[in-house]
Amino acid sequence: MTDPQTLARIDELQMKYLAALDRHDLDSWLDCFAEEGSYICITKENNDAGLPVAMMLDDSRARLKDRVKFINEVWSGTFEDYGTRHFVQRFECKPNGKSRVNVLSNFIVSYINRRGGSDILVTGVYDDEIDLSGEAPRFVAKKAIMDTVTTPRYLVYPI
Amino acid sequence: MTDTGVSVRWPAQYNVLPKEVFHRRDVYEAELQKIFYGPEWHPLAHLSEVPNKGDFKTLQIGEAPVLIVHGDDDKVRVFYNSCPHRGTQLQICARGSTKEIECPYHRWLFSLRGELLGASGMDQFEPNFRKENYGLKELRSGNFNGLVFATCSEEAPELAVFLKGTTDYLQKALSEDGRLKLIGYQKTIYATNWKEYGDNEGYHPPLLHRAFRLLRWQGGKGSNGVTEGGHKVVEAEVQPPKAVFLNDQSLVEFRDKSGPPRSIVVSLWPMTTIVKHMDVINIRYAFPLSQDETEVHYAYYAHQDDSEELLVHRIRQASNLLGPSGFISLEDGAVFSRVHAGSRTLGTVAYQKGYEGKPLSAPCFVGQNDEASNLLRWERYRTTMGFDRD
Repeated sequence: MTDPQTLARIDELQMKYLAALDRHDLDSWLDCFAEEGSYICITKENNDAGLPVAMMLDDSRARLKDRVKFINEVWSGTFEDYGTRHFVQRFECKPNGKSRVNVLSNFIVSYINRRGGSDILVTGVYDDEIDLSGEAPRFVAKKAIMDTVTTPRYLVYPI
Repeated sequence: MTDTGVSVRWPAQYNVLPKEVFHRRDVYEAELQKIFYGPEWHPLAHLSEVPNKGDFKTLQIGEAPVLIVHGDDDKVRVFYNSCPHRGTQLQICARGSTKEIECPYHRWLFSLRGELLGASGMDQFEPNFRKENYGLKELRSGNFNGLVFATCSEEAPELAVFLKGTTDYLQKALSEDGRLKLIGYQKTIYATNWKEYGDNEGYHPPLLHRAFRLLRWQGGKGSNGVTEGGHKVVEAEVQPPKAVFLNDQSLVEFRDKSGPPRSIVVSLWPMTTIVKHMDVINIRYAFPLSQDETEVHYAYYAHQDDSEELLVHRIRQASNLLGPSGFISLEDGAVFSRVHAGSRTLGTVAYQKGYEGKPLSAPCFVGQNDEASNLLRWERYRTTMGFDRD
């Protein structure tokens, strides 16, 4: 059983993460990751089959920073923008050493489709490793494993 | 009037197209019959996606579900993914492995070669029932360098005839020996007509890509051609850009030293594109969902002889460079759907760059960034559909 204080710190990070994405605030998104942090967004289909190609594979600080540049500096003005809402539900926490924890959470991300209506963009599970040693908790590894096999549009923002 | 009963007013001017072909439901239905179920070949799988006996993959030709099976005799066959009894879909997974193919509805059982092995209650079937007549419906299929194609039509020419002019490029893109290893998929749907996807995929003016400017990435010398069959073939030298923008330069580095640094794009008629760019080896299996939607499965490969280091590099580059969320190609997707949305206006569009005011004849090569080559593919489309010019 994870103590309530630890759970609160985990949730603090998750909320900061989803708020950053839904605000399209990529600098705050980057700030959710530890210096050695990584982000992978992959389909469950590939993950289960042992196929390593991901939809987004940012396995270093340099790559995480580049993703922010792609969105803010490269693609901006060309892609069709869309609003999102992330809904995250933690369902499993396991301590990992002294100051780390592994957390599994379901996610649903809704988005605004081309007609201005709301649809589901992707669903899946976050498989996260979180470092709680610092003042603010941070992701050491965040893996968004999408149940969604075929995305209903191209993904611009991380999940 | 065409043999499908569908007519389109096609402008007399060679470089002008009617936008209505991107939106009309009746045109789309005629295309399914004339093109997707007609005498054309469609790439469906690379052998590395079904490497072992019993392995299968499912996909679509047009809207028709097909099943690609690696038989126990080592032959890869393509069947309709439909029971010959009552039409039930046989396999529902994208990929898998099986010893035999069983229909869940009435338990008809088929071998990996498609033969009907048995069915429950067969002694009560019609008196002249013969098992031999109820095997899975097999499509004509063939493979080039490990890439498996099929056609729904007996009228299609031999695969080698269909591919004429593309095979050198395919070989360069898919490696000379075809010994690839599957490393994963990215799948998405574009809100675009399949022809807009096919027309704009793989090759378009670099103007679209701000990434090239930010990287100060100049294209090298190359060629841009169209074959007699309406396939687009592009080859260009590519020098990796200077490290001026990215924090992780490996995204745009060549590390495979087995060949020259170049980019190869083969946009096969009607809509699947094969790309070898940097160290990414990519087949973009594509099919229409309707006149307004196109589904694309980006499949990525490594070479079986890759070192562990090169394999990791390919995985990292494949994930972030050329797919639907890729550094370079995300912008392609944006254009596919914006072209479709904008084409709901009436009238025509005109192709300009490289068009010299007179019809082109295939095979031909045009300037590296010219859009005139697309006109030959449009000619292939227009004549296949039987649409006359005004």
